[in-house]
Amino acid sequence: MKILVADDSRVMRQIVIRTLRQAGYDDHEIVEAEDGADALAKVSSEKPDLVLSDWNMPNMTGIECLEAMRASGSAVPFGFVTSEGSPEMREKAANAGALFLIAKPFTADSFTEHLDGVIA
Amino acid sequence: MTSTDTGERRRAADTRPVITDLLVASTVESIAGEAWVALVGEDEVLVPIPGDLPVDPVSAWVDVVGPWTGSVVLTTGRDTAADLTRALLGPAVPEELEDEDVADAFGEIANVVGGNVKAALPGPSALSLPDVGAAPAVRNPADVCRIDVLWRGQPVAISVQGALPALPLPHPPHENPMHENPMHENPTHENGASL
Repeated sequence: MKILVADDSRVMRQIVIRTLRQAGYDDHEIVEAEDGADALAKVSSEKPDLVLSDWNMPNMTGIECLEAMRASGSAVPFGFVTSEGSPEMREKAANAGALFLIAKPFTADSFTEHLDGVIA
Repeated sequence: MTSTDTGERRRAADTRPVITDLLVASTVESIAGEAWVALVGEDEVLVPIPGDLPVDPVSAWVDVVGPWTGSVVLTTGRDTAADLTRALLGPAVPEELEDEDVADAFGEIANVVGGNVKAALPGPSALSLPDVGAAPAVRNPADVCRIDVLWRGQPVAISVQGALPALPLPHPPHENPMHENPMHENPTHENGASL
């Protein structure tokens, strides 16, 4: 399957991709996006099976990207990987249709916990 | 009549908490420790021993805007920031590190530490994107919670510092031209706007 990793930090994208491998998800195609607008465009052009997105990004935030996706009828599974995990943000994420929110700093175990069942 | 306190100070103290009312140093230490283990590496510990920062350090910070407004600032030597970047990038590290890589990596550590500090503070608050350069000046020494630690024997300072009051003169207004932050122009920035 194809996983879209959206984060404005290239270093963090590398860390997310590395953690996916450490969690055992090493057999998937990875596409990177550098902000929410890029992610939204790539959801259309790349047709990923899962989006893992940062929240706080320039141009378009992760939550705006998710809302735009859902508004356009896209039901692609979407999870946040973000440096904040307050109850308010988790609620906002869930209401917008996110499957989960993984707070940074994260471990391979927290990836497994949230991604098992989402990634075949 | 003999008090040196001013009405202005009293009003500020009445309405805005200082960071030491909200956060203890051990919380910052544990947040930073977790961030280091998860981002930098499993065996990467921060030792709570102060060291002398080099004369030309580099800082990375994020701003928190809410009931408490200020910055979470990480400061270390340029070589140490480069070492942190190599550790974060792991096998993906390029042969020649660019300044951009260091700004990205060090900024991301500040983002994770700042996001978790924000979560420990009363909300709702907004978090800015990370900035890297010369540290924002300390505005009010009473509104600072700072820890000094060693990573691989090199000093790293983490300062959670309030943004108020505005810098008194005669500090030059362009002391930190790289730091373009709307927070300082608009302290009542709408919560959530930049989340």
